Amino acid sequence: MLFCEQCKVHVKGTLRRCPLCQSPLSGTQEENVYPVLPPAKRTMWLLLRLAALATVVVAVICSAVNFSLPQTGWWSVLVIAALASTWLVLGVTVHKRGSPMKAIVWQLGVISATTFLWDIFTGFAGWSLDFVLPIFIPCAQLAAFIVAKALCLRPAEYLFCMTFCILAGFLPLIPLLCGVIEIIYPSVICVGISLVALAGLLLFKGRELKDDAVRRLHL
Amino acid sequence: MDRNYLPWWRLDNAAKIFPSTSSAHDSKVFRFFCELEEDVEPAALQTALDKTIEQFPIYRCVLRRGWFWYYLEKSPLPALVCPEQLPPCFPIYPSPRRSLLFRVLYYRRRISLEVYHVLSDGAGALDFLRVLVYEYLCVRHPEDNLPASRVPVLGISDQQKEADSFQKYYEKPARRFGLSPSAYQIPGDRLPRNQLAILEGRISVKELLTCARVRKATITELLTAALLRSIYEGMPVRSRKKPVVVTVPVNLRNYFPSFSSRNFFAIIHVGYDFGQSSTDLEAVLDQVKRSFREKLTAEKLKSHVDGLCALEHNFFARIAPLPLKDMVLRYANRIAARAATVSFSNVGKISMPETLEKYILQFGVLTCAGCLQACSVSFGDSFVITFASPYRSRETERIFFQELSHLGLDVTLTTNIEEEVEQNVVL
Repeated sequence: MLFCEQCKVHVKGTLRRCPLCQSPLSGTQEENVYPVLPPAKRTMWLLLRLAALATVVVAVICSAVNFSLPQTGWWSVLVIAALASTWLVLGVTVHKRGSPMKAIVWQLGVISATTFLWDIFTGFAGWSLDFVLPIFIPCAQLAAFIVAKALCLRPAEYLFCMTFCILAGFLPLIPLLCGVIEIIYPSVICVGISLVALAGLLLFKGRELKDDAVRRLHL
Repeated sequence: MDRNYLPWWRLDNAAKIFPSTSSAHDSKVFRFFCELEEDVEPAALQTALDKTIEQFPIYRCVLRRGWFWYYLEKSPLPALVCPEQLPPCFPIYPSPRRSLLFRVLYYRRRISLEVYHVLSDGAGALDFLRVLVYEYLCVRHPEDNLPASRVPVLGISDQQKEADSFQKYYEKPARRFGLSPSAYQIPGDRLPRNQLAILEGRISVKELLTCARVRKATITELLTAALLRSIYEGMPVRSRKKPVVVTVPVNLRNYFPSFSSRNFFAIIHVGYDFGQSSTDLEAVLDQVKRSFREKLTAEKLKSHVDGLCALEHNFFARIAPLPLKDMVLRYANRIAARAATVSFSNVGKISMPETLEKYILQFGVLTCAGCLQACSVSFGDSFVITFASPYRSRETERIFFQELSHLGLDVTLTTNIEEEVEQNVVL
């Protein structure tokens, strides 16, 4: 055991100086009581930071070139919007990496919203409502189903996200009924699939869905 | 267990604030450790953990977000012991992966139990650790032929252990609370990367008791007074108009019958105004004794707890969506933190079956809560007081232990800050 003559205290471990007054200790050292921890490695964060820096470089170069050649139109705005959209999707994926079901729901939300916004700001040709969303939503539903089965999740762990994906499948009804869609088949199929999925969910997991609602909504 | 149905529990009153307010520098995780006379055998510890967790079903759960409140849900995740590789009191929630709300760690002679405060308070977690150590020693030393009837929490049903005792004793209070005046805050830089500097002092219980009895005080009162004095010593003169306030968690099981292994505690504030009163240890001790006598009555504690429970039962608080609650609670926590300088929690005496005492050197406890925290626990003749500090400066601890040493107490220190100390010297 070590001893500090100044503070008159004994000290355990492998210290050379008193933890209170930093004067030298006398006596013999013993094994340390707390482990010496190596600094944490954060490879993932390093990669993300490198990617973020690369993004900034690309955005700055494009803006600079575009600013120097204004006669080519404001294409750099599109490049920056594309980079921002990619980061948004990547961000929610990384943030929800521990829970694949939540990741699917968030990707569904973010990708649908950005697609719709892209369509609007590039002249609203209607391609997002005609094709992308009605095809993407059933894909998300399928992905949720596959993840739940593959990871052998319990109903309490997947039902909420699954229900959300299925209910999102009814969204194409709004533009369909408002008559803003030109090619209606994908939307009709999407709503049809969602109806069948909802019926299946209620018939096979109705009781579990009720349990889940009770615990999630308890006041 | 029905695969399609997972049991779930509401959070108790005290636990409701923790998920919203825990962060990397304030993880709301506390650690109990048991130092044995021999190195820990991981396989035996795993066997012991498997047996222990059967007796504490609520420890097999994860924290989940509802729309209005967080809740605990039973989880099939395995509880595994692991070597100590993370910094002490490393955050358990929020974490990228869903995990159980406690960990069992081992390093050399120490078994450590780290618990997220949502799950349990000190007294509840201590029951878990006692059973774990008991089971471990039974596996390691079967020759001692321990009677099975000596398990520490035998005879307490699962329902008693899972009970939310706040709800049991809650009555709607007549009056409401005001804000406490703001207390002196220890200034100083924090350690980098949310590190926690730990300084444990081991003192003989007999010596400490003698020292306290000479002054007609309890150990908690004496140490609280010594702590207040040490903060005063390090205080800049211009801050002396603010009171120094120690928060002391009180185990409500001592006042209201409960065998719950979840949260059941209240916090009292013990303050001293050094600007206007004498700075002698004796004078501080007198004031501390008076405060403890006034505040530690069943009625006072009950009205305090009722006030907190009333907030939880408020209709508008209940229907507020969780993200809003998170924001409000985070802000309220910051305001509440201003009323305290430091926290001191004396968990008290730990008992183990006599035949096992020869294998155990000492118990200890420490907690991470964003400011300087002192915790203490006694076992046999060893009283261990642990400071966990996020600050670079350790002046309060230095003055405190030097003061104990001046009182004639023999102190043995242990710390995790070896490299850091060396670096400070170089700088």
